[in-house]
Amino acid sequence: MQITKTFKRSTVAALAIAGLVGFSGTAKAQVDVPLVESGSSLLYPLFNLWVQGFQASNPNADITTTSTGSGAGIAQAIKGLINIGASDAYMSDSLVKANPTMLSIPLAISSQAINYNLPGVSSLNLSGPILAAIYTGKVTKWNDPMIAAANPGVSLPATTIIPVHRLDGSGDTFIFSQYLTASDSGWASTLKYGTTISWPPIAGEIGAKGNAGMLAAAAANPGSIAYIGISYASKVAAAGLGQAALEDADGQYVLPTPANIAAAAASVANTTPPDERISMIFAHGANAYPIVNYEYAIVDSNQQAAAVAGAIRDFLTFAITEGNNASYLKQVNFLPLPAPVETLSAAQIAKIQ
Amino acid sequence: MLGLSLLIPAALCAVVLFLLIYSWPAIGFSGFGFLTHVNWNFGDLDDDPVLTRGLMVPGGASYGILVFIAGTVLSSFIAIIIAVPLSIGAAIFLAEAVSPKIRPALSMLVELVAVVPSIVFGLWGIWVLIPLIGHYLSPTGNGYGLLAASIVLALMITPIIATTLLDALMQVPKENRESAFALGATHFEVVSKAMMPMVRATLIGGIVLALGRALGETMAVAMVSGGGFNILPTSIFSPISSIASFIVNNLDSAEGDPTNMAVRAIAEVALVLFFITLAVNAAAKVLSSGALHVRKRQH
Repeated sequence: MQITKTFKRSTVAALAIAGLVGFSGTAKAQVDVPLVESGSSLLYPLFNLWVQGFQASNPNADITTTSTGSGAGIAQAIKGLINIGASDAYMSDSLVKANPTMLSIPLAISSQAINYNLPGVSSLNLSGPILAAIYTGKVTKWNDPMIAAANPGVSLPATTIIPVHRLDGSGDTFIFSQYLTASDSGWASTLKYGTTISWPPIAGEIGAKGNAGMLAAAAANPGSIAYIGISYASKVAAAGLGQAALEDADGQYVLPTPANIAAAAASVANTTPPDERISMIFAHGANAYPIVNYEYAIVDSNQQAAAVAGAIRDFLTFAITEGNNASYLKQVNFLPLPAPVETLSAAQIAKIQ
Repeated sequence: MLGLSLLIPAALCAVVLFLLIYSWPAIGFSGFGFLTHVNWNFGDLDDDPVLTRGLMVPGGASYGILVFIAGTVLSSFIAIIIAVPLSIGAAIFLAEAVSPKIRPALSMLVELVAVVPSIVFGLWGIWVLIPLIGHYLSPTGNGYGLLAASIVLALMITPIIATTLLDALMQVPKENRESAFALGATHFEVVSKAMMPMVRATLIGGIVLALGRALGETMAVAMVSGGGFNILPTSIFSPISSIASFIVNNLDSAEGDPTNMAVRAIAEVALVLFFITLAVNAAAKVLSSGALHVRKRQH
């Protein structure tokens, strides 16, 4: 009841504003409508940069951003409590079935590095099956034959492996476990993927809070391994952690360089469906880095007021065009959408009415 | 005025009632196993829900919180064991050994520790305490776990107990103190035999207050506990999770459950935490009234 009432009131207010703007006929349409964005903590810094940039050309724009988590972003966008939900993952089939008007719109491309703390080891190859064995406790020493086989010529110490994982629900856990699900049949049939995994107990493992906690735990414990979002790359390097090359779908070991991340994005660009809900994890293609994902805006295509819909369209259009410039994305190590995907996102944005 | 005084209990009842109603399907789904199982699994949130025990839930979902109950209770009690002697020592020192001129300044310092935000304790834990435990104590070289959480909690609650006790010690009538001295008691005997028995009820009250804070502490524990999952702690170096930190760290994942069962299960977790705190407080009421009886009989 309460929510419906608030909705009606805000609709009336929005219509009134739209009316005023319409009468005055000078100001850019819709810019006065307040928008609320909430969700992914990974996208949060980028959204703040976008809002600043958007306000430079639309000084009246009123957009509030909050960092709550991808799950909350999706849930609150569905309930209509916020206008734009930010999520590291697209909406699941079951959620889309229950909420057919909700759109998952890619805004940029992110990825994740597998970092390790092994003094003296400057390069390391890892694969999905090796990571699955480490995170289920089957491989416990760095000089295990399984790891050695992937690293000919590298002298691996007999150090105990300390697997570090996120203890809070996280998009990083989601894409990490998606990589293991795609590349290891044992993992796929038991633990699967999600923002929280029912981690098997391993002696000496660490659950850490947030990417900052992951970095602190990995830096403090020689022998540790951690999955950390690419936006932390410079801090990870400063802490002296190594970055592993991962086995891709074609059996090549590739590092999360901008070129290899772009290769993964390009390989999926032409097969991305119109609703853009597709995993880029473990994609085929030359040098395609295996843990790459779209960062999504979760928006209801069926808006209560035309003015609100217009304001959302304006802002999201800015995000996938000017907002995809290196000046914005470089600060968080994200990459721009490939041209065909930008076209698909623009088509989805146009559906917001 | 009566209405106002009833407002707080009414709000409390409303919260508990809400949690109970909201979590009711989860209570029915998990039954008593909720409290006795060590395995927590949100299940496959991406696939279609499956019919399990008469309810639609994500495939493979199972909710057991014994690990989190153990983590909460153990870390809080170890924290109390560390904090109580420290607090008693600090309070007696401030009440008896320090000149009245610098006492206010020192006791203010102790009170200051009580208002330090828990995230600051958590950061101290990550950057100072955990490397220390890892290098010098832990057999695995990993400092995250039960001991780190307990020490951080102990530091947070020591000032609560110490200041409560100090206030009580300062209010012990001069006559009691002086007559004990007049009977030839040493300073130690005056404190231990004439003063401490009079403040026992207050001490227990302070401990309960501190225990309440330790049981519900979220952020600092989450940062240093190691986030134990699906396994009970086997030593003081084992990773643990507390109930409160589990709730705040997993509510977001729970929201991805299209059947809503995960969020209901988390509401049930909150309900359990509430009843644990209630039980602790009730036990303390019994204990401290016992202490009062002792005091009355002595008079």
